[in-house]
Amino acid sequence: MHFQTPRVRSLIFIDGIPVEGTSKGNHMTIAVLLKQVPDTTAKISVNGGRVDENAVSKWSFSPYDEYALEAALQLKESAGGEIVAITAGPARCEKLLRDAAAVGADTLVHVSAENINDLDSTQVQKLLAAAVQKSGASVIFCGKQAADTNAGSTGPGVAELIGASCVTLVSEVSSDGGGYTATRPSSTGHEKVTASAPCVFAFDKGVSEMRRPNVRGIMMAKKKPIETWSLGDLGVDIEANGVNIDSHSPPAEKPPGQKFEGAESVSTVVSKLRDEANVI
Amino acid sequence: MVRDMVRDFVDEEVIPKIEHACRDGVFPDEWRVALGEMGVLGAPLKGYDCPGLSYTAYGVICRELERGDSGLRSFASVQGSLAMYPIWDFGSEEQKQHYLPKMASGEWIGCFGLTEPDYGSNPGDMITKAEDMGDHYLLNGAKMWITNGTVAQLAVVWAKLDGVIRGFIVEKDDPGFSAPEMKGKHSLKASVTSELVFQDCKIPKDRILPGVKGLRGPFSCLNNARYGISWGAVGAAQACFDSAKEYSLSRIQFTHPIASYQLVQNKLAWMLREITKAQLLAYHLGQKKDAGTWIPEHISLAKMNNVDIALEIAREARDIHGANGILDEYCIMRHMANLESVKTYEGTHDIHNLILGRHITGIQAFTREL
Repeated sequence: MHFQTPRVRSLIFIDGIPVEGTSKGNHMTIAVLLKQVPDTTAKISVNGGRVDENAVSKWSFSPYDEYALEAALQLKESAGGEIVAITAGPARCEKLLRDAAAVGADTLVHVSAENINDLDSTQVQKLLAAAVQKSGASVIFCGKQAADTNAGSTGPGVAELIGASCVTLVSEVSSDGGGYTATRPSSTGHEKVTASAPCVFAFDKGVSEMRRPNVRGIMMAKKKPIETWSLGDLGVDIEANGVNIDSHSPPAEKPPGQKFEGAESVSTVVSKLRDEANVI
Repeated sequence: MVRDMVRDFVDEEVIPKIEHACRDGVFPDEWRVALGEMGVLGAPLKGYDCPGLSYTAYGVICRELERGDSGLRSFASVQGSLAMYPIWDFGSEEQKQHYLPKMASGEWIGCFGLTEPDYGSNPGDMITKAEDMGDHYLLNGAKMWITNGTVAQLAVVWAKLDGVIRGFIVEKDDPGFSAPEMKGKHSLKASVTSELVFQDCKIPKDRILPGVKGLRGPFSCLNNARYGISWGAVGAAQACFDSAKEYSLSRIQFTHPIASYQLVQNKLAWMLREITKAQLLAYHLGQKKDAGTWIPEHISLAKMNNVDIALEIAREARDIHGANGILDEYCIMRHMANLESVKTYEGTHDIHNLILGRHITGIQAFTREL
């Protein structure tokens, strides 16, 4: 697989433009990039070499995006500001935005892209980066990778396109009013990384599961308008795919296992488990 | 979205813990907290921090809760339909302001005292009485089979005042009031069931529900609760059906999954058929509730039918599970045992038949006197 991944400025810390007021009462806009994926419990049918979307029984947030959204909600609660939930994809994605609104997202943006599965990572990053810039957000939260493609390129890619710092594998973000402090794993434990806006935080498993919605939130979410932005609205020109898949191969097959039957084989199985597999 | 919220809660928080809760005979307090946080208690009530959902949405909530366990749905039914509703409909403005927000949030649990040890299907003959003592009321009597009784902060109690049935709000610390838990149940084990005992129980004058006299009060509450049951039973049936389907596809006998045999498919098809009919019945009733075109007999028909088929579906599902069906690894026996209670409470199956019989013939058959 050959990836033309954009140059990522840093995975640790780069100063960006000084942040414009993050204390409570000042305006901080956090964009949360969300992807709708088949739920991990949903049965997947493959048709013509692709997942048959019509057969997906349940769509959900990509799990790492949930951590990003929850962290954004907590940051908003502690430091004030506004959350813009942004997703790119076909019309079905509007459900995702309503779910985000039900737990507290203030503004909902749907980047309409019926052909999202035909776009490569760099093209999706372009869409999202343009949407972030149009939203006016200076802080961007997203999952470290999507549960369906696992590419892991959205956070760094968007950061590169908008000229922002990027911190990956984040579990927690706080704000002291002058910048942002993210917690991420290090070789010796955890490290605190500070960044100032504009910055992108790509979340690993966070410290809090996404909160459950409530009826009041759901009722408000149903009335909340969704801003739908087309490629034209964003002024984005999607060129030819920048990613070329040269070859694709399935994982190597496991060697066949050994089969034992009958009580007389117990001692053989036990000795193999003990001496060969080292599991007992 | 409300359905998904409750469904996710049941899948993530209830089903993994329900068998443990049943073995311990407790209703986990975190479920009370979660129901309050989700904002589903008193679902169809409007104002006073109540959710203000449609009756159809309330029904869907009941279905999803009972897919987890009838005890969970019972908790929500009692809180919303039997304790909050009478305060909302018949209470004074002060009572509504004081109690309903705390009950909608789950901070306060309510229970409903109507049935007595000797008076179940004929509550009109209840013994529990209230006396006007000038500056307070004095309650004497006992109630039985009261869901949430021991854990409740308040009870809506129906008692005769000068021979007329009236509703009273009794708080748990009122002198002369106790609520011992009933033990030894083989059904609704994850639900608290209690007696309510009133021995010269003294309550302030402002705790009487001013807006209703006679059996219309408790029956209004029961209509709402029975409506919720008609949906809830569908959820229990769905849980049994889902388990039976999964089991029959994975259980190999005579070298093939038992789901491939016609007798098993016949059972599954019948279960699906009855679930679909029951759900349509509940849905149609929900639409009538929302439109205000329902009559109590509609509710009797739906409650009676849906609990009946849910119980039969549980039995068929147990049959498909074979011996495994009796284990608590599967939900079947738990739902079956629960549904035996659900068939009897909130108007027994037979009483609902008599309600329909009276509606059809114009002749009441509850008593010997015509």
